[in-house]
Amino acid sequence: MSEKMDKVVDTVKNFATEIKTHWNTPAEGKYVPYKEYKDVVIGVGANYTGTKTLEYIGFFSSCFLIMHHYKLPYLTFSVIGLLNMPLGYITALIWWYVCDNLGFLPKKQERKVYFVYGLMMLFGISTILFDYSRLFDQSGAFITMLNSFEGMNATACFKTFGTHFLYSGWVGARNIFWRKKLLPKYGRYKYSLYCDVIPKCVMVFLIGWLPVYNIPDVATRVWVANLLFATYNVFGFGNVLEECTKRISPNLQERILVRSYPVKISHIFNSILAIILPAIVGMLRHEWADINFYRFVIPITFTISAAFTMFLAGRIKERIPQPPIEKKVQIKFWDGMLGVLKNKYLLINTIVGLIDALGNGMLPFATILYFYTFRLSGLPYSLIVALISFAGTPPDLLSPYFLKRFSYKQIMIFYQLSRAIGNAIIAVAMWTLGDNLALCGTICIIVLFFMEMTKTVPTTAGHDMGVRINDYQMYLSGERLESFGGIFGWFTGPITTFIGLIIPIFLLKYGFNSNWEILFFDGSRRNIVVIPIIVDTIGFFLMTIPYLFWDYDNKKQNLVMEVLKRRAEVTEKKAEEEGKSTAGSYKG
Amino acid sequence: MSKKEKNANKGTVLQDDIKLDIPEDEIWTYQIEGLAAPHINKPYKYYNLKKAIFVIVIIIAVSLSIYFSILALQNETFEYEQVDGGYKFTKFSNTGYLYELDIDYVSDIEYIPGNNNPATNFKVVKDESKPITAVRQFTLNCDDKIKTITIGAHVENVDPKAFYSCWALQNIEVDENNPNYCDVDGVLYNKDKTEILCYPCDHDEYLRQKYGYEAELYTNDITPEYERDIQTYVVPSTVTKLGEMCFNYANLRAIYLPEGLKTVETLAVFKLHEKLDQWGTTPSLHNIFTYKAKDVADTHFTSEDALGEVYLSLPEGLEFIGSDAFSFNQNLQYVFIPENVKDIGHHAFWDTCYKEGGDLKGVTVMNVAVSEEKFEELTVGDNWLPQYDYLLFKKNIDVNYSAERSEK
Repeated sequence: MSEKMDKVVDTVKNFATEIKTHWNTPAEGKYVPYKEYKDVVIGVGANYTGTKTLEYIGFFSSCFLIMHHYKLPYLTFSVIGLLNMPLGYITALIWWYVCDNLGFLPKKQERKVYFVYGLMMLFGISTILFDYSRLFDQSGAFITMLNSFEGMNATACFKTFGTHFLYSGWVGARNIFWRKKLLPKYGRYKYSLYCDVIPKCVMVFLIGWLPVYNIPDVATRVWVANLLFATYNVFGFGNVLEECTKRISPNLQERILVRSYPVKISHIFNSILAIILPAIVGMLRHEWADINFYRFVIPITFTISAAFTMFLAGRIKERIPQPPIEKKVQIKFWDGMLGVLKNKYLLINTIVGLIDALGNGMLPFATILYFYTFRLSGLPYSLIVALISFAGTPPDLLSPYFLKRFSYKQIMIFYQLSRAIGNAIIAVAMWTLGDNLALCGTICIIVLFFMEMTKTVPTTAGHDMGVRINDYQMYLSGERLESFGGIFGWFTGPITTFIGLIIPIFLLKYGFNSNWEILFFDGSRRNIVVIPIIVDTIGFFLMTIPYLFWDYDNKKQNLVMEVLKRRAEVTEKKAEEEGKSTAGSYKG
Repeated sequence: MSKKEKNANKGTVLQDDIKLDIPEDEIWTYQIEGLAAPHINKPYKYYNLKKAIFVIVIIIAVSLSIYFSILALQNETFEYEQVDGGYKFTKFSNTGYLYELDIDYVSDIEYIPGNNNPATNFKVVKDESKPITAVRQFTLNCDDKIKTITIGAHVENVDPKAFYSCWALQNIEVDENNPNYCDVDGVLYNKDKTEILCYPCDHDEYLRQKYGYEAELYTNDITPEYERDIQTYVVPSTVTKLGEMCFNYANLRAIYLPEGLKTVETLAVFKLHEKLDQWGTTPSLHNIFTYKAKDVADTHFTSEDALGEVYLSLPEGLEFIGSDAFSFNQNLQYVFIPENVKDIGHHAFWDTCYKEGGDLKGVTVMNVAVSEEKFEELTVGDNWLPQYDYLLFKKNIDVNYSAERSEK
């Protein structure tokens, strides 16, 4: 017994000595000193917490600020999406032009791009200063059409349209400017923090304090809010330090160690905050509807997180030798386009995404359940959310077993069917037991728990399959063409935009507009929640169909990998014969 | 066949022993059985045609999407459905400049060519051969422009939720020949005034104009006169039912109910509020009173003398309290549940109590006329009692059974 005890004590002592010895300098063959592990825990934790805090702010209908204060009509968000859609294609083309020129543009081309972005910004600013709608016949079909949009009028439409120009030009120009200035010094992941963090903090405070939500005219409120949130979105605060940890060491084992322990531990800060924040909200007089949540709680939390992030950002290093992103060889635009269109499996995923759009515009069911059915707030709300989030963790640990035991096709069909069945049970419970809050709510919580439990393995499988689809693309085209995968979005975007209107238009019919409090009315809540869930359920059933055509199994993946290895072998051999460099070649 | 072999055939296990013998000159063209052939370093057939098709398909997809989306999003100002004996008014979308609305005949907007002022470049044209007989629920949902609605003589059925969240609505006027509805100084009632249907959200603005107040007063500036003229409402003595959502979002500090009132429907007195300052609002309802006088028709409060005997809280005759009937009225001071009440809906008094600086405020005790045993025989919904923060959780306020009604 005492021998065992001695062993444990020795192990602990050795561990402590190891940490002490390599606190400042890493062990031989390793690159990360233990001091940096501590920095990762705090830095990534603060960065992750900051990004999660920002999830409370957004220009979408279920954001509490929009829900309780701005009270913007639900369909207005669809109208804004529609107005912004054509410009999205134009900005994507400009960005491709930038990429074709390898990111770091030659002076002349850089000036051209700045000029285009500058023009976009000028046009955007001019739409905000002047009312272009006045240039049109106010009795004409065009203006009367714009006036008929929910929550909008012609003036607001033009200003919203211009705001997107301003935003796109501003973001584009900033990207080129700051990348060039900061990327060489801070690396490709952290640089954005240094130029964005201060304006982001200012904007977070302004979002809470500017009384834009008091503008009485709804159309004016819409475009001013859109402008405010667009400005807020110009400055990013992504989870970039965690991205750095993926490249923290050239030693694969050390990298996995960092990802497995310090990074996982760092998320605990957010888990704690996810319990504390709602508890604080519960103490406010008007709870989630209390504007002090956005004036004090969110800005202070974010600023503290941002300060810790910036304090530790410099200490977390990228250590993988790699060429700059800008030097990455680009494939010709049209070859890339036509190449990805040949990938059957990308096509199947696209069709699944299209069917999934049936559920677009649905209100967040869990939010409605917690706030309008159960009237949860404070700690009980935190605990129930934490409980349901936790449901996915144990199966996640068993992911390797499930991925080995079942095919991707089986897992994804199970996933879609489990969503369909879960949603169907919720719909039946809400429809038949709507008045019995305790019973109906309990059934819904159990189903949500079950659905969360059955989500993590398919999610992991989906990530894994994404990598395999890229391997297959490499087999097909000789390149992974990852960025060109977005081309499918060009085709699906217009369709999903239209399909995504079905539910919002339906919700409007049952009284859901800018005032979420209609959800306190049992009869409306039932229609507003249940019927979109039924539509979504049908979508989940339909989504199983494309997966029936999925035939990319492990056998095919192995064969693809063999082909890729053989290509590497042959090309490396040829390069050696020709006396050329083989740097970057990997034969597996 | 072993299990491993079976799985290998199904393709569910990774095999390490696959080895392909691909000649060096076929590495870019070698096709795996069951997968498409690689297409590397060779030109596409009909390259330009494919590019053209791609661009055309994108343009058509975007154009069709925008066209159909606009069609779906575009709203007619007035939408109707033909029903037996007339038309049902189903949807109203404000042009942005319509402040008065007549619900009598099927109407349309006619634009005046050449007039470039959006506020005056249209007129409402009515088709008097098509009378409106019904108004659908949520027809004017969340309109923020309409101030006055006039209901015509032929209207037989107005869903109480038709005018939900009409934030600027000050008045509802009813044609005196309408056999089903009437108004009392801008508030909608059924014809025999047994049910109050809609107290417009911004009725206080109408009252301010009527009684000569220039602007809305903030909480700390409210005078007793202002409270009496603008923020006090006397429900006529004929009324036996407060309809669904009838008073929601009204700016009232006191409501006088007749003793004959039997029903308070769902969300009837939901979230009454007044302006706290230029930044926001605060709950306004302080008290509910019941009066005994029989022939009270005037809804303007002058003094309690005109109302006969007056007592605090809900009427003795009350039988039904709907769900969320009095929710979110944190300034409500006192509630007494009379002994005739048989049914209390869920969350009937939700969020009428809160904690500030350690002190409980609002409805801190629920007074119930009947004993605890008798109360258990009632139909009571979940969480009908207000709750307050207690050690990071919520706790119901205490119930005082067999209570005596408090003196005013």
